[in-house]
Amino acid sequence: MPLLLVRNKGLRSQGPAATRGHPDRASGGDVDRRPRVGTPRVGTRYEGRSLTKSFDGATVLSQVDITFAPGEVHSVVGENGAGKSTLLKIMAGIYQPDSGQLVLGEERVGGLSPRSAQQLGVYLVPQEPALMQSLSVTENLFVGILRRGRLHFNVDWRSMKQEASAYLDRVGLDVDPEVRAEELSIAQQQLVECARALVHRCTVIYFDEPTSPLTAKEAGTLFEVMKNLRADGYTLGFISHRLDEVLAISDRVTVLRDGKRVSTALRSEVEGPSLVKAMVGRELTGRERVRPPFDATGRKEMLAVEDLTSEPSFAGVSFSVREGEVLGLAGLVGSGRTEIAETIFGLRPSDRGTVRLEGRRLEHRSPRACIDAGLVYLPEDRARHGIFADVEVERNVTAGVIPHLARYGPLVKPVAERDLAKQATDRTGVRMASLDTLIKALSGGNQQRAMLSRWLLAAPKVAIFDEPTRGVDVGAKDDIYHLVAQLAEGGLACVFISSELSELAITCDRVIAMYEGHVVGELSGAEVTDANLGSLIVGAHTI
Amino acid sequence: MSLSATSPLGTGPAAKAPRAQTAGRQEARWVATVAVLLVALLAYFCIAVPDFRDLGVSGILGLSEQFLFTGLIALGEALVILTGEIDLSTGAMSSLSGIVMAALWQQGINIWLAVVLALIISALGGAINGLFVTRFGIASLLVTLGTQFIFGSVATAVGGNAPPYNFPKAFVRLAGTGSVGPIPNELISFAVIAVVVWLLVARTRYGRGLVLIGYNRAAARYAGVNVQRTLFSSFVICGVLAGAAGIFVSGYYNAARDDIGNSLLLPAITVVVLGGVDIFGGKGRMSGVILAVFLLGFLDQGLLIRGNSSLTATMVEGIVLVLCLMLKIALDRRAGVRLKESLQRRFGSARRAAVLPDT
Repeated sequence: MPLLLVRNKGLRSQGPAATRGHPDRASGGDVDRRPRVGTPRVGTRYEGRSLTKSFDGATVLSQVDITFAPGEVHSVVGENGAGKSTLLKIMAGIYQPDSGQLVLGEERVGGLSPRSAQQLGVYLVPQEPALMQSLSVTENLFVGILRRGRLHFNVDWRSMKQEASAYLDRVGLDVDPEVRAEELSIAQQQLVECARALVHRCTVIYFDEPTSPLTAKEAGTLFEVMKNLRADGYTLGFISHRLDEVLAISDRVTVLRDGKRVSTALRSEVEGPSLVKAMVGRELTGRERVRPPFDATGRKEMLAVEDLTSEPSFAGVSFSVREGEVLGLAGLVGSGRTEIAETIFGLRPSDRGTVRLEGRRLEHRSPRACIDAGLVYLPEDRARHGIFADVEVERNVTAGVIPHLARYGPLVKPVAERDLAKQATDRTGVRMASLDTLIKALSGGNQQRAMLSRWLLAAPKVAIFDEPTRGVDVGAKDDIYHLVAQLAEGGLACVFISSELSELAITCDRVIAMYEGHVVGELSGAEVTDANLGSLIVGAHTI
Repeated sequence: MSLSATSPLGTGPAAKAPRAQTAGRQEARWVATVAVLLVALLAYFCIAVPDFRDLGVSGILGLSEQFLFTGLIALGEALVILTGEIDLSTGAMSSLSGIVMAALWQQGINIWLAVVLALIISALGGAINGLFVTRFGIASLLVTLGTQFIFGSVATAVGGNAPPYNFPKAFVRLAGTGSVGPIPNELISFAVIAVVVWLLVARTRYGRGLVLIGYNRAAARYAGVNVQRTLFSSFVICGVLAGAAGIFVSGYYNAARDDIGNSLLLPAITVVVLGGVDIFGGKGRMSGVILAVFLLGFLDQGLLIRGNSSLTATMVEGIVLVLCLMLKIALDRRAGVRLKESLQRRFGSARRAAVLPDT
């Protein structure tokens, strides 16, 4: 196993029937000709020590210690961006930690890949099942460890099919192993993923928000399976946004906040409210709003959206923003927030509805037309839609105002361009070696500052910020909140889209909540709190 | 909207980072490399090949008449490649343009009017390419692979089996073999067009959008660049320049032929790549392309004068291309290492990750 820096002896001696360390597996061979008998070895502790991870300079996980014990469901909870998924992905070998150690049983393991982690018995059931849709359930289960037949060059489908049925029974799934994955529902596919972990003899199984695409009943089935596995001594890890689920299934709960571990406690020691408090932390303990209450009197309506519809993403959306107001747009991922913003900005066609800027209707919207009219949009996916990674900061910043770079004649004036870029980056405090630095060399927070600079240059009247603090450091987050507040103070009408309820609560004067493409509620002033928003965005009727 | 002078984000002076490797510096260094190679090449031929030396300044400049049509095509091709697309129909477009011009002239139309009409036909051809790429979203490689056959066969059909030759003297002198002092007319025309295209890319709004599209098409769209229009017009300009090349080549040989452009396409793409333009778009400078026109052209002509067969010359060109690209990759990679070091120095042990966390 060239990928592993692990001394494998201990595992092998504990392992059942030489499941691990077999030459076939060790050489990465795709065919496993050993008969599979007996139960896999269960009862492995899996521990992460001082795990630290950053992306593009933004620290998402910092010095986290966590132990997953056998016979336990250990839940990891926290707000969006707290580092939950990153933590599990490190445990499962999908990401490499920047520093820290992983200890499986008594052995240190390192340099994991998803495949080598599986070989060691660690499996991550992803949020969205990642089965090969046009292959059968059996093929999906055995991919990577196809059983060799008697002739050594054929594949022993019969035994695999039988075994597949047994494993499917184990996870309570009553489907024909011959059926193709695409014919199964999402919930069934989720269970196939679970069976796959068992087929691969994995005894440490992580579930990354497995219930978010499931109905309550389907989630119940999954929990039954998890409970059975727990009873058999499997080591289970679980992430969910739904606290009631966490409280129902967990034996132990770890709370992460801003990439740090806040607490780990037994289920019996925690209650809903205390958990929420630990998750949101500072916000509940008196986190201040970044701006004074908004007074709408005498403020002009800058952006008015009426009955905007783009099936199937969202329908009948209406709202308006006044001069100097910050309107929040809350909602879960997939609730249509980004789609609305992109439709307003002319990046997507709309079925019906109108967008008015200062009372003037924007027809035939395109990004250019919107920018020139005074409406800008800071996209959610900075890497794909925001920055030009291999281009200097200067040209990244001026990219939104190219038509203004050559106001007097056909040619761009380099000196004028530099002046503009300098002013704009000074305003937002981009830290960089020089304007000639490639933007990809900047940290996430500084990249986002540069993006904000780009739109400040366009002298906007209305700005839509889509997850402006995604992938940036905590410090930079604060700066961005204050910048938004300051821009609003200067009269800019802002739309602030975010999954982090706490940041909506501290920056917004008014928040509308989206659920599955519809506006389901509006809060303003003192009503804008994490708790109120939280119940709205999960669709109040489901609670 | 007004902003106060002090920023809440103002976090002191810029970080003291080591001299960062910039795209501009990397590109400029490659342009300089091509220039040095060109000078070295000319020096080598002047020293080692007596026949080449004996041509004198005007003779050597005159050699450029043999390859400047390739250069014209390369200028247009560079625009398209900068956006990340490609145009394979340029060679056929040159043939078509030359033939159309000649056929119109044969029909009794004034030669200069025929030139203008041929250029309009070329623009239309480019527009067809652009339309299929932008409107119907077909990969430019496939679109232009198809249209190249269309343009080529139309050229054959228009030209018939006895393509016209022997154009008016004024035309032949201006487009082909005439000169001002030691400088061939063709070189003057090329220089003017090259400067215009260079300014277009480096200094205009249009060029800025063009390059940004090449770096990240989605981000360009989100930043307000009209991606469709820019792509479309790059194909039109490319078509017109290919058409112009067809007219110059007809003038130079004083005859139009329906297959004359076929041999121009691949050298033109070679020149663009040699000039430092990233075949996937974005990176690259027109000055590099312009220098590469002369580098590849003089290499070819010099070898022929030295007495090598055209077969050998082609082979040497291939070798030079591969070696140059290896050199470029080595230079860029060295720069890459520096960038990584500077990153590490600034962000501790931060790895470069392309993905953002989806916690």
